[in-house]
Amino acid sequence: MAPVPLAYLRPGDGATVESIDAGWGLTRRLLDMGVTPGEHIEVVRSARFGGPVEIRVRGSVLSIGRGVAMKVLVRPDGEPTV
Amino acid sequence: MNVGKSVLFNQLTGLHQHVGNWPGKTVERAEGTMNFGGHIIDVVDLPGIYSLSTYSIEERVALEYISTEKPDVVINVVDASLLERNLYFTIQLLEAGVSLVIALNQVDQAQKKGISTDAVKLAERLGVPVVPMIAVRGIGFHELMTAVVDTVEGRMAPKPVRIRYGAEVEAHVEAVAEAVEESPIAMPARFAAVRLLEGDDYVRRLVAQVNGKAIAAAEEHAKQLEKEHGHSAATVIASERYELARKIVTDSQSVAPTARTFADRLDEVTSSGALSYVIMAAVVASMFVIVFKVGDELSSLLGEFFLSLEPSVMSALGGGAVGALAWGAVEGLIAGITIALPYIVPFYAIMALLEDSGYLARMAFLMDSVMHTVGLHGKAFIPMVLGYGCNVPACLGCRIMETDRERTLTVFLTTLIPCAGRTIVILGLVGRYVGLEWALGLYGFDLLLVFVLGRLAYKTLPGEPSGLIMEVPSYKMPHAGTVLKRTWFETSSFVTIAMPLMVLGSVVLKALEVGGLLTPLSGLLSPISVGLLGLPPIAGVVLIFGVLRKELSLIMLAALSGTADLASILTAPQMIVFSVVTMFYIPCLGTVVALYKELGWKKALVIILSEVALALVAGGLLSRILH
Repeated sequence: MAPVPLAYLRPGDGATVESIDAGWGLTRRLLDMGVTPGEHIEVVRSARFGGPVEIRVRGSVLSIGRGVAMKVLVRPDGEPTV
Repeated sequence: MNVGKSVLFNQLTGLHQHVGNWPGKTVERAEGTMNFGGHIIDVVDLPGIYSLSTYSIEERVALEYISTEKPDVVINVVDASLLERNLYFTIQLLEAGVSLVIALNQVDQAQKKGISTDAVKLAERLGVPVVPMIAVRGIGFHELMTAVVDTVEGRMAPKPVRIRYGAEVEAHVEAVAEAVEESPIAMPARFAAVRLLEGDDYVRRLVAQVNGKAIAAAEEHAKQLEKEHGHSAATVIASERYELARKIVTDSQSVAPTARTFADRLDEVTSSGALSYVIMAAVVASMFVIVFKVGDELSSLLGEFFLSLEPSVMSALGGGAVGALAWGAVEGLIAGITIALPYIVPFYAIMALLEDSGYLARMAFLMDSVMHTVGLHGKAFIPMVLGYGCNVPACLGCRIMETDRERTLTVFLTTLIPCAGRTIVILGLVGRYVGLEWALGLYGFDLLLVFVLGRLAYKTLPGEPSGLIMEVPSYKMPHAGTVLKRTWFETSSFVTIAMPLMVLGSVVLKALEVGGLLTPLSGLLSPISVGLLGLPPIAGVVLIFGVLRKELSLIMLAALSGTADLASILTAPQMIVFSVVTMFYIPCLGTVVALYKELGWKKALVIILSEVALALVAGGLLSRILH
């Protein structure tokens, strides 16, 4: 199955980061905050009204705006990797 | 990022400095001197950052400082409970070739989360001294400074580990480093090579000045690396760096499972579900009730006190023009003390409390989607809320926005938020004489304008819009000393900006009055005040006073007309027009200074001029509609 945007995950879901599909600046920030390909993340919660997604990554919690979360492609847990 | 850097800096230097919970908040360069065992040490507070990648202004400031000023030692404050994230940055500092001492802070908080760190092991892995600390309680302070002094004097000879990447990445780094080495720059060749591969624009420009060949080599190698790995060189390098950080953490830390804490439950309640919005509304509402209630009390108390002093001060200053000017200065001082301070001190205290506890980050989370409607993201909610109290700290607070574009946009919208001073005009004029519903209508109109202009600016400003990426700190009990210091620091920084201006402005206005220039000035402005806005001639001068402080326009209106019954001076439509103009025209003098500090004079001027135009257009239109 194709990777899905992080924004599509639901609270409690786990996934592995596949790639970041964004400009240099945004990619840089995500990488610096530890959202790197191959890294496992877990969705803590998702704000209402199209608000941010809160994820647990590398032992800390990050708030990621919905628009940004659309640009992070992840492979949800339990799916076979290619 | 609340690693406790500012707390430590305060303790080292005794300087009162900004302390809070907001990621990357300390942008200003604070500096202080300390005496440790006979050594005079100069301490510079560098911005709190996650990386040296020069994406944000803060990162560039830090990299520029360490590469050009070559400090003897860099104290890297890391949070023991967020070691992996923090070591990612430590690794970059090691690459940059600085002499490091690690302050392993908040070991007590980490312990509560079941995390214990072997500092000796960590020091071994990094090759630099590691000192466990609890900065808020002053624990580890002496050991830290001993390590710093020993490092500088060569008694402790750290052997910083050489940061190595995987074999494939290493080959590219080495090749580029060789090319860089041909014309040395202010940073280690290896560090520059890694940065070039990552596509860092700042380092690229630095190297390009002396060595075009290295740039070409870096581009070539970055391309190859991408081909080999299927990810950009920046991605591969960042991943490997984090991998290294994880290995070091695994070697030096052990984690025991812990039960759900009160902070976890609080996080749940305040971040999700309908209740979280109710709580936030209650927090914001009570914040304003406290600020304005306490502010009103303090303000009237201070006002009465100064009023009782007036006759004796007046007689001491003597009569004549000099006496009048001197009184003008005193008036400016009093105005600053009675209006600004009573509202600003409680406001800052509450803001500090919210930041230090970690609640502000939850607010940003909840408000992100709302802020998107005006082209901003959740972090901008904080300066916008601050704006309702006072635009000056709100503008200064816009530094938490990462990019130039967002900062400009947030500053612009923040100056349109009706501050306490404007609220006094709206409520004291429209609310009192025309009706509360009209006053509320003006607030609604203002919000609508912020919305429309926000969208407009979002579309027209150049640059890539960016979204929210923010670390959410764990809740913690606010530290009283930190909150107090923070309040003190913020208040005094405001006073040093605003007070001299208020005094100066007040003297200038007094000079105009004494020189008999107010009436001619009114005449000069009448095409605008009378012709365009349909206000009485006196309004022109009064609005000039309002530049000093918005509420002064109301006070001067009463003073110059010789009556406190404003209904006898202005009709209801005139009051509305007057309030609208006051809301939008030139932000007060203090805000102008803040604008200049944050954006430079060019952007500040553009914002000021467009707001004057906005005020005149809105006022002129309203005047015609309402009459």
